[in-house]
Amino acid sequence: MKNRILLGLAAFAMVALLSSCGKVPQAKIDAVNAAIDSAKTLQADVYVPAALAAVQDSMKAINTEIEAKKSKLFKNFKEAEAKLDQALLAAQQVQTDAVAKKEEVKKSVETLMTDIKAVIEENGKLMKRAPRGKEGAAVLEQMKNEMTTVETSVADAQGMYDKGAYMDAFNKVTAAKETADKINGELKEAMKKAGIKI
Amino acid sequence: MKKKLRWVIVTLCSAAIIASIIFLLHKIAPKPPVDDVEFAMQNLSKAGTNKAGTYSKKLYNEAKAAFDSCMINWTRENEKFILFRNFEKVEDYAKLSALKSSQAAESSVSNSNNLKSKLRVKIDSLNHTRQSIDKIFGRYPLSPEIRSRISNGKMLLKEAEVAFDNGQYLPANRKIADAEYLLTNVYDNAIDELKDYFNLFPTWKRWVQSSISDSRKNNSYLLIVDKFSRKCYLYLGGNKKYEFEAELGRNWVGDKKRSGDKATPEGIYRIVTKYQGRETQYHKALRIDYPNAEDKERFRMEIKKGIIPASSKIGGGIEIHGGGGKGVDWTEGCVALTDREIDIVFSLVKVGTMVTIVGSMKDFNEVLVN
Repeated sequence: MKNRILLGLAAFAMVALLSSCGKVPQAKIDAVNAAIDSAKTLQADVYVPAALAAVQDSMKAINTEIEAKKSKLFKNFKEAEAKLDQALLAAQQVQTDAVAKKEEVKKSVETLMTDIKAVIEENGKLMKRAPRGKEGAAVLEQMKNEMTTVETSVADAQGMYDKGAYMDAFNKVTAAKETADKINGELKEAMKKAGIKI
Repeated sequence: MKKKLRWVIVTLCSAAIIASIIFLLHKIAPKPPVDDVEFAMQNLSKAGTNKAGTYSKKLYNEAKAAFDSCMINWTRENEKFILFRNFEKVEDYAKLSALKSSQAAESSVSNSNNLKSKLRVKIDSLNHTRQSIDKIFGRYPLSPEIRSRISNGKMLLKEAEVAFDNGQYLPANRKIADAEYLLTNVYDNAIDELKDYFNLFPTWKRWVQSSISDSRKNNSYLLIVDKFSRKCYLYLGGNKKYEFEAELGRNWVGDKKRSGDKATPEGIYRIVTKYQGRETQYHKALRIDYPNAEDKERFRMEIKKGIIPASSKIGGGIEIHGGGGKGVDWTEGCVALTDREIDIVFSLVKVGTMVTIVGSMKDFNEVLVN
């Protein structure tokens, strides 16, 4: 009778050993993956691409570690679980950073928009008073054409802003602002040379 | 006592058997290629850092696909009983992924650097084109549509520069392609048009040479108007005495064909009347004998050939007058100087003084270089 009990115990021990000690922390894996997906939805790939790539790399490393553990006879996922906890925090941080960076870019676009509208208005006033002799008027005609394009760019950037494409709007309005600033500088220089008070 | 001993022996034997089984399983079970997978993962990460997803897309996607296949196969093998696992495919995919990632990382750096250099050259070249357009065609009567295309091209070039400075080479490349299309097309078309116009240069040169020779021979005054450089020169005895800025008809390129075309005529003319005070609204004016016999003959031929409508009139009343200094070409076909300048000319020239109007005194290549 005792022998049978012993054999039963041995068999049970074998089964327990072979079926491993730990279980794959699937819930934590899913949580990290979901957090990474959320970060992507929040355009982390646009606003904090390096941070997102780092979290994705961490997740790949954890997956590799988990598979390596699963291949072993004795499985222990405690270390991987700790890493998953860290990855989850990192992914959540990426979400926060993406939102913050997006907001920062949005604010920058708003500031640039305000600034460029002021420069456009100032350029319009300066053009009326700028010297027209010699090549002046022809240059002014060119400047007017360029200012029309600047205004079109600002309108395009506003459209991008309204759609939430803040990075595209930022790039567009930055180029427009540089052009408007250049024209502003040239106008002031020409007026200064002609002795016209600005 | 015997029973106890038997119990101990059985227990020890069982434990030994279990330990042996575990040891054997551990020893003979196939080992996963952990090092290979980790190496592949590191290479893939490096490729990502090198922006292979952007600059070596095909290789990077292949590397990623191989890595995904590696992990899928590994998971699948892990689901089997420990002795029945086979990690060969996992290893193959890991090695393939590592190789592709490494190639992607390298080619990405190379492609990115090449693109960066290519873009720098393109940006510089387009900026040169932009400057040439401003310099050569600043006062050329280009249509508003063409002017708008130039402005759009310039803006796209600026956007490309902003993207380039931010290391966004692919968007910069797209913007440059658009800017190049607009600016280069406009430049090439305008240059071709200008080249056609300058086919008349030998004639203009001949007119200028004969006029200066005539001025020298008769020790007389001569006015030469160089339309392209917007200059009006006053000669005496074949020598240049004065140089003035001139403003022309709004549509100054080409010879005057008919009334209302806002073109300044080209040819050798004479002053026929001098106006001042109430006789002119432009301070002082020197009317020339446009249309002369040559102009009349050309006008007749062009009507005959249907180049201009039969109802056209040849026009007239072309003058060199004051009221200039506006900085643009604004007249209906006359040559405008400032009031101060027309005062000087008016005081020196007389009825009969030769006025030679040419497209340019410099040849096409000289115009482009200067």
